[in-house]
Amino acid sequence: MSFDVHEGVTGLLGPNGAGKSTAMKLFLGLIQPTSGSAMLLGEEPYRSTEGRARIGYMPENECLPKSMTASEFLMHMAQVSGIPPAQARTRAADVLRHVGLDEERYRPIGEYSTGMKQRVKLAQAIVHDPVLVLLDEPTAGLDPDGRQEMLRLIHRTANTFGISVMLSTHLMGDVERTADSVIVLESGVLAQEGAVAKLTEETETLLIEVADRHEEFVTALAAKGVQASDDGQLLVIEQAREADYDLIRDAAVESGARIRRLSPERRTLSDIFRSRPA
Amino acid sequence: MRAREAEVFDLGYQRYTGPREGRNRARLALFENGVRTVLGIGRGGRAKILPVGLFLAVMIPAVVFVIILAFIGEGGADFIPGPADYYSIVSVILIIFGAIMAPELLCPDRRDNVLPLYLVRPLTSNDYLIARFLAFFAIVLVLVYAGQIVLQAGLILTASDQVEYIRDNWQDVPRILFMGVLIATFISVGPLAVAAFTTRRAYAAAFVIAAWLLLNSISDGLTVETSCTIVTTGDRGGDAIIEESSFEVGSTIIPEEEVVSRECTRPAGDLAPYVGLLHLGGVTDNINNMVFDVDLEPGQGAPSSMAVAELHDAFPIGVYVLWTGIPALLLWHRYRRIRL
Repeated sequence: MSFDVHEGVTGLLGPNGAGKSTAMKLFLGLIQPTSGSAMLLGEEPYRSTEGRARIGYMPENECLPKSMTASEFLMHMAQVSGIPPAQARTRAADVLRHVGLDEERYRPIGEYSTGMKQRVKLAQAIVHDPVLVLLDEPTAGLDPDGRQEMLRLIHRTANTFGISVMLSTHLMGDVERTADSVIVLESGVLAQEGAVAKLTEETETLLIEVADRHEEFVTALAAKGVQASDDGQLLVIEQAREADYDLIRDAAVESGARIRRLSPERRTLSDIFRSRPA
Repeated sequence: MRAREAEVFDLGYQRYTGPREGRNRARLALFENGVRTVLGIGRGGRAKILPVGLFLAVMIPAVVFVIILAFIGEGGADFIPGPADYYSIVSVILIIFGAIMAPELLCPDRRDNVLPLYLVRPLTSNDYLIARFLAFFAIVLVLVYAGQIVLQAGLILTASDQVEYIRDNWQDVPRILFMGVLIATFISVGPLAVAAFTTRRAYAAAFVIAAWLLLNSISDGLTVETSCTIVTTGDRGGDAIIEESSFEVGSTIIPEEEVVSRECTRPAGDLAPYVGLLHLGGVTDNINNMVFDVDLEPGQGAPSSMAVAELHDAFPIGVYVLWTGIPALLLWHRYRRIRL
């Protein structure tokens, strides 16, 4: 299995147990491959300690020391990444401010809410200003507001901070909201890969409903070469292209049908999942 | 004129362009963090109670001896414990310190799952272990030296001729330094190895203390002299055979110069010297007696140490190497294959 991670956000999508976390741990050198090799930024991470200085990692499960304060913990983690104490202090304060932890940062992490802990986890992953950060299920366990906030932070990390992000998730929504490209894993196998916009665009579906003259409209459309499936009331055009809109307009004029509904359904990634043959 | 309102400028995210010191900085950071964790620095007052209390407990014997010396004067040095006895006196407190504080260093990192965060940074699991070990070792070393320094200061200051005292006893200094390193290693590595196998600090501490008590009492129990046959000469009219364990050699009942031979039986019989090697306190005590050149008189010292003294020096040395080497290997092995 081989895939490229581009600048911006790359989503690593797959159901539970597909091997997302395992893939990340392989890239990070936390586990060693039974066969083959895992390369990240051109290096085998479990062999090269120096290469790891520019990578960040946010694990899926809890990973924070309960007795330390966020401020102290971030300073410590920056130093463990090789940053001297004075600079580590500045970095810790900056990054905590960016993830939106202010006064709380002087309280022990054990007293934090899930949302705050997730932010500290993200903060420790970017405190040393890595080139690439790997986020394993960053929205797991968050309430809707917390999830929105986390996704906004991830977007900011990639686009404002300029840190490339690889994000694993089983939630299509997360990928759609943040990712530029996506890698779909299933049972440890690379199932699909590409730009998110392209994957969803290719499968755009157009729903049309006319108020009257249904038959005439269908005939006019067919005459113009637009394939539409018809269930007697709703017309569905699979993989509609930009030019189809003009043809639909012309067909409506010719047939005299009044269009009641014209809704492009950009299919979500979950639809792609479902329609893909197993 | 109105005062200008305070303004907050968001400078935005700044990329880091400063120095990156890699692996050495990472090791140093772990060492420092380890020291702070054990001493409870940067945490609430409750975290400091235990280290401070145990530190005082280790210091108390030294302080008490110095006070006695100050009252009695130079003569006191002959009957109060000196540098050669100090380590075995505080070894119980030291092992309690090790048992309680070593898990503090390793267990939370595994329980809170912090290890993956370390291992994706420029560190290996060996770096982690060595930094943690050195942090603990350094604290224990300071602890064992502190009492000896107080004791030495007391002995020197109460001596009638300080220069002469130092000239006669300067050899104690290298002995204290060397033995301190051996003891600090033993006190650190064993409890750390136990702590590597559980995430519950209390279990690790209880295990170490239980092992200490159990092995020590078994060893002493099986090596204690139950009855002795003492052949004496002198006023008692030629050879007398006394079969009574309560007669102390050197006491008024049997003056030392009258003892011809001494045969004692012990529960472990001929195996007693080897059973004596099981004594955990003896692991360092026996080496201590070698380093300080202590000759154990009958009735002095723990029964196990008496029994071990019959063996060649290689035995206690070997036992020390085993009791530090095996835990070190266990630690290394455990962290090499840790599941993340």
